[in-house]
Amino acid sequence: MTAKKRQSLFFNFQKKYFKENVIKILLIIIAIFSIIVIFSILFFLVRESYPLPTDIWTFLSGEKWRPTSANPQFGAYPLIIGTLLVTLGAMIFAVPLSVGSAIFISEIATPRIRSIIKPIIELLAGIPSVVYGFFGLIILVDWIHDGFGVPTGETWLAGSIILGIMAIPTITSVAEDAINAVPRHYKEGSLAMGATRWQTISKVVIPSALSGITAAIILGIGRAVGETMAVLMICGNSPIIPEPIWNVFTPIRTLTSTLGIEIGEVPFGSGHYHALFGVAVLLLIITLIVNISAVYILGKIKEKQMALGKKKKKSRISTEILYKIKRGFKAIIILFLLMFCYLIGGLVFSAIIITIGAILFFILKKISQKNIQKISFTIVIISIIIVLSILSILLGYIIFNGSGALNWEFLTAPHRDLGRQGGIVTALLGTLYLAAGAIAIALPVGVGAAIYLVEYTKEGKITKIIRTAADLLNGTPSIVFGLFGFAFLVLFLGWGRVLLAGQITLAFMIIPTVLRTSEEALKSVPQSIREGSLAVGATRWQTIKRVVLPPASPGIITGAILGIGRAAGETAPIMFIAVTFSAFWPTSFFEPVNALSYHILVLATEVPGTEAKAAAGGAALVLLMLVIGFYLVAILIRNYYSKKMKW
Amino acid sequence: MSKGEYIIETKDLNLWYNEKQALIDVNLNIKPNKVTALIGPSGCGKSTLIRCFNRMNDVIPGCKIKGHVYYHNKDMYEPKVDAVEIRKKIGMVFQKPNPFPKSVYENIAYGPRVQGINNKKKLDEIVEKSLHAAALWEEVNDRLNESAIGLSGGQQQRLCIARSLAIEPEIILMDEPCSALDPIATAKIEDLINELKKNYPVIIVTHNMQQAARVSDYTAYMYLGKMIEYGETKKIFENPKEELTENYITGRFG
Repeated sequence: MTAKKRQSLFFNFQKKYFKENVIKILLIIIAIFSIIVIFSILFFLVRESYPLPTDIWTFLSGEKWRPTSANPQFGAYPLIIGTLLVTLGAMIFAVPLSVGSAIFISEIATPRIRSIIKPIIELLAGIPSVVYGFFGLIILVDWIHDGFGVPTGETWLAGSIILGIMAIPTITSVAEDAINAVPRHYKEGSLAMGATRWQTISKVVIPSALSGITAAIILGIGRAVGETMAVLMICGNSPIIPEPIWNVFTPIRTLTSTLGIEIGEVPFGSGHYHALFGVAVLLLIITLIVNISAVYILGKIKEKQMALGKKKKKSRISTEILYKIKRGFKAIIILFLLMFCYLIGGLVFSAIIITIGAILFFILKKISQKNIQKISFTIVIISIIIVLSILSILLGYIIFNGSGALNWEFLTAPHRDLGRQGGIVTALLGTLYLAAGAIAIALPVGVGAAIYLVEYTKEGKITKIIRTAADLLNGTPSIVFGLFGFAFLVLFLGWGRVLLAGQITLAFMIIPTVLRTSEEALKSVPQSIREGSLAVGATRWQTIKRVVLPPASPGIITGAILGIGRAAGETAPIMFIAVTFSAFWPTSFFEPVNALSYHILVLATEVPGTEAKAAAGGAALVLLMLVIGFYLVAILIRNYYSKKMKW
Repeated sequence: MSKGEYIIETKDLNLWYNEKQALIDVNLNIKPNKVTALIGPSGCGKSTLIRCFNRMNDVIPGCKIKGHVYYHNKDMYEPKVDAVEIRKKIGMVFQKPNPFPKSVYENIAYGPRVQGINNKKKLDEIVEKSLHAAALWEEVNDRLNESAIGLSGGQQQRLCIARSLAIEPEIILMDEPCSALDPIATAKIEDLINELKKNYPVIIVTHNMQQAARVSDYTAYMYLGKMIEYGETKKIFENPKEELTENYITGRFG
């Protein structure tokens, strides 16, 4: 060691530290970006909703939504009720099936069956909502129309069923994670005392996973509230309140579909325009509340698991009183259910329900634990079978119906005669452009923010805020991103409907996905590896670049592919900011493009004739294969490397 | 070594993890070209102390340090001192072998590479020399390009030692380097330490007192974050001054 070299030991004004500092500052800026986005969304929506054409109270409680009549009325009450009802219906349908499926996957299935079913359910999450809408419009609506003899099948019921199917994968996978996270020794402790498997599941596993399951359901609600395309296509879109309130065969309209239908044609600056942004603010507030509660619950669980929480405060209520409260609560619920039965079917109906309930209660008391286990397992297995058959009917129909339209011309020619003739090449290309542009923006931002969060900060207030902002962005309905893009890019910056506006909007939408998956990937690299690198005198950035990023890259790539798939399948955020039903190739970023999802929407809802429906079916199949293809690749990469990467 | 007979000196070193104090007024002088062992019961702060010597505690969130650690008579905790430069001079081997998921060759070449050495010939030389010094060359010279994850635990740990030697450190820190190894692998590492001390001062944390007695010249006994006794290993083991030390040593030997 020369004396000179040792001198430099205590000074760090070397050139490479300049680079280190620049990288760090860059990453900070990127990380704060997600906070900026969520605040600017809020800002622009609120700004554009001012002034509302009526006072807030009339806006919230008025029962008439007639924005374009000679004497316009802006009462959003039926829209709020529509949103709540359709979501409620979806949950009644989806929650039992999802929780049953989650129990099956994590507790009953053999590892082999689990490894097949789990990715299938995750694939369900990848199906674009416009494809669900198309299926609902062509098949489900007809079934309801014929099966129940109602004037139109485009009803609350149809919307709830489709939304329920769409919420199943979300609820199932989050609930499954929660059940899986229950420590093994809990189960073993219960089994060792002679409890049956079902007793263990119902008395130990489910109660300890309960808050996670609750969060799963809340996330499912968020998904249903924010969904636009499917409800727009199949709910009938009449802004009325069902009469009586439980009449599931009424056409209804939600907050999201109102935005989807009306924002494209509204005169800028009119009362109607401001009212629509008011609706968007309302929607955003509802979903923010829903998502904050889910994030809060999941955060609490994580704290508990990592045992970071402060010492538990002793409950001031004694267990005895708690037990009484629980019993009282149960009684109230039963009473409530009875009243509900009475309202629906009158006295005779509720008498029948009571008898059945009582008989069931006594039978359950009599039969052995072994038989209860059998019955319960059967119910759980039935629910997973229902979920899988729904998936196969859906996929089977899309494939069977769409494959007839597929041929070389369909894939390579632009469309003619309003899409009845010709192909879909401009739509396909537009979708690829949109997705590619979105990921090109979202990947550096998402990965940069993730690196900052994992590698540069200590856990604290700032990281918490950034993470929460990302989670909230993740749960924000896609149509809200669309409105933001519309207000900011199309109108405020004056770009008009252009490709670039769509790419940026979609990028904002998928940044949270990329950020969160990258974060998980970075965290899975063990700390000891970082220390090993730092201990030989590598700088922080050298460590990240050479030691942390290589093993994390499969996870990051998975996130990116999921983001691409999501961007390719979306309709709502781009339909009034980037796309037209165009048969031409775009030549610059400042021209509108066509997109597959939009192509399907137009053919299915606006162009009459069977040829249009056939072409829509073909386009739906292509979009499905494209998106599912992306998801499949992502899942395969993840599974391949999760086996390979053992530390 | 310039002036001063100690290579590392701590003065009134205090350390907290959030509110919990892990080191209390530690004063310790490390002599050059000797093996110094830090012993004590679990949680006494010996690992924490050794991580102070190359500023690895900087990585841990919520860690606060008060006091001084002098390296060549300069305080390494002064604000303008660069932790990266410190770590280039003071190598470290961790409790669990932590090779990078790269080839054997790349693991050793990593340190020189991040310091800007990219000459292939030079790197080959360094890799061979370091593997020889870590007594691993004979076992791995035919599979330099295979993943280091495939080596046995003992080989991985010697690879980590070779990795720290590749940057030509002035001191080597070892944090319970044998705790994850079997007795045969442990014996090899101990032989290696005896070799290494000809060229490098070694500071080793161990919970195995026979090991401390076998390999070290000086021993420091710590208890509840305090430095209880420090002196020549022979004296500490045969004739401890403090009752606490004696209890610990005799208790362990039975």
